[in-house]
Amino acid sequence: MSSTAQTQEYVTLVSGDGFEFVVPRSTACVSGTIRRMLDPSSNFSEAITGRCVLETLSGVVLEKVCEYFCYNQKNKEQANVPDMDIPPELCLELLMAADYLDT
Amino acid sequence: MENEIPLPPPPRRRKSHRPSRFDDRSSQPSSDPALFSSDDIPASSLENYHAPAHGNTGRKRRYRGTWWGETVLNPKRKRKDFKDKRFVDSGVWMGSDESLVESLLPSEDAPISEDFFKNVRNSNPGVPKKEPEEVDAAPFAPAAPGPESVLGMDRGPISRPQPQVVAQPRVAFRRVVESQEHQLARAIVNDCLEKGQDSVDLSIGNMREIPSGLLRPLQHLTKLPAIREPPVTEDVYSSLEPFLRLFLAGNSLFKLSSELFDLSSLKVLSLRNNKLTEIPPAIRRLTSLQDVNLSVNRLQYLPWDFLWLIRKGDLKHLIVRPNPLMQIDEAEIAHWHYPNTTTPESLEESLRLQEYDSPVPEEAWAPIHIATGPIRHFNTDGYPIPEAQLNATSSTELKSNVPSLREVSLVSLNKSNFFDLTPDSDIADLPELMLRLLRYAREVRAAGGRCCSICHRGFVLPRTEWIEWWDCSTYENGLKGPRASGEKLRPLPFKRLGCSWGCVPDMKSVEITHLPDEAASE
Repeated sequence: MSSTAQTQEYVTLVSGDGFEFVVPRSTACVSGTIRRMLDPSSNFSEAITGRCVLETLSGVVLEKVCEYFCYNQKNKEQANVPDMDIPPELCLELLMAADYLDT
Repeated sequence: MENEIPLPPPPRRRKSHRPSRFDDRSSQPSSDPALFSSDDIPASSLENYHAPAHGNTGRKRRYRGTWWGETVLNPKRKRKDFKDKRFVDSGVWMGSDESLVESLLPSEDAPISEDFFKNVRNSNPGVPKKEPEEVDAAPFAPAAPGPESVLGMDRGPISRPQPQVVAQPRVAFRRVVESQEHQLARAIVNDCLEKGQDSVDLSIGNMREIPSGLLRPLQHLTKLPAIREPPVTEDVYSSLEPFLRLFLAGNSLFKLSSELFDLSSLKVLSLRNNKLTEIPPAIRRLTSLQDVNLSVNRLQYLPWDFLWLIRKGDLKHLIVRPNPLMQIDEAEIAHWHYPNTTTPESLEESLRLQEYDSPVPEEAWAPIHIATGPIRHFNTDGYPIPEAQLNATSSTELKSNVPSLREVSLVSLNKSNFFDLTPDSDIADLPELMLRLLRYAREVRAAGGRCCSICHRGFVLPRTEWIEWWDCSTYENGLKGPRASGEKLRPLPFKRLGCSWGCVPDMKSVEITHLPDEAASE
């Protein structure tokens, strides 16, 4: 089981209200919290199943968070990073999520 | 008692011995006197028929009640009651007054008791009461109808509205009284605007902060034409574009507001003798600035943007000393640029301009990059990261230019009008960690925003920070002359901020060049 977990390329992020987002493992590991959750040496159930349930995040916020993960991953090596648009009504919740996810 | 409708007189009965259902009442007077509508009122008796009614001549008497038990309404008492009632409830409703009373107002016919009002008051212990203001506002404010006025008019003279009713917790008109200095400052600004004076002297005003809205009108200041008399010669023509000078010297300013940096036509700015600890990087927006005086403040370093103003703007005269500036011989230096050696043997000797013969080289005029301090890194929370931990982080992370999710959120918060619309009390409920970030973002916004000194992106939380030492002595004395051959250099500390870990100076490539990254970026 654990051997398959290490080779898993995609992980599933589940929001508190049941939305699931399947993202590449490297992308999800932009977040420090998720990286530690998925650390294969930790033996957390998340690391074994490749499924992180983020109870505190709603689907809307988690979607934006995943968008940020991809934005971060995509622009990691670039010198001129484009701005990412965030609707103002989501800002506070995203700030809270950023605090939780350590990004 | 008047409210009780008197019973109609029992019907007259003939004397008969027939048993009736009224038998048990027949012990009462068996016959009633003849009853006329006005019999029980003395004034209406025949003797007074022509005499005017007492006190209310010519006034029609009004009756109330049934024909058998009617009473005269006392018009006098009614009027008095009416007046008192008017006083209690003026009937004028101030729409802007969002009172709690408004929502709690019972409809007129609902029973209301003193207990109700007490409950209302007790249920809102959190709302601070402002007694003096309440009393002030009372004549204009809608007072809640007191229990008396609701309960009825026939309760006798109505007592004055009790203070507890008026002192309902609610938002009263709060007149913000501006301090004298601010009023004076506004008067000076208005005077300058009216007369078209482009030299605004707000010095020695004891202002602790620049009140909002004070400087904004100066953006539109125009000079008045000097031509008054008919003989018009060519000399009297002059530009009406103001040569805007702002003197804020001798105040007690602790920080500068973003409004100042909107005065894009400002030419001369004096902040001498204040209590400033930092000049916001937004000073860069004052692109036509020519003359700045920052002496006698509490500055330890200058924002990097002054160098930008020297290089790209019009800045010609920068008075910085005296200030408690960092000294190069006490500071930690990561890289030396000027003496062209990595570690100068003796600071005293090396911090001299190289000897030159005529002609004067460009180097004798331009700012010279002397040294660069160590780079401090900050994490996404805005806390400095110790060196040991930094070595452990991966190199790709250290090179990344991507803003953190916190940063992205804060930047878009600052772009939106969240902080204008949200009062401090609403933010205060949020978790402490966020609160700190939000307050920080608000301060950055109030100071006019920041932009990265490497990539020019707007940002809130700096991720890198370092000090660069530049000698600007020619600009300190107003470009009066070049540095003399072999002159001692006195570098100034300029603080640079980077928006990401990727935004750091490239130590290898900045050997002895003049503002290399600036030249590349523009």
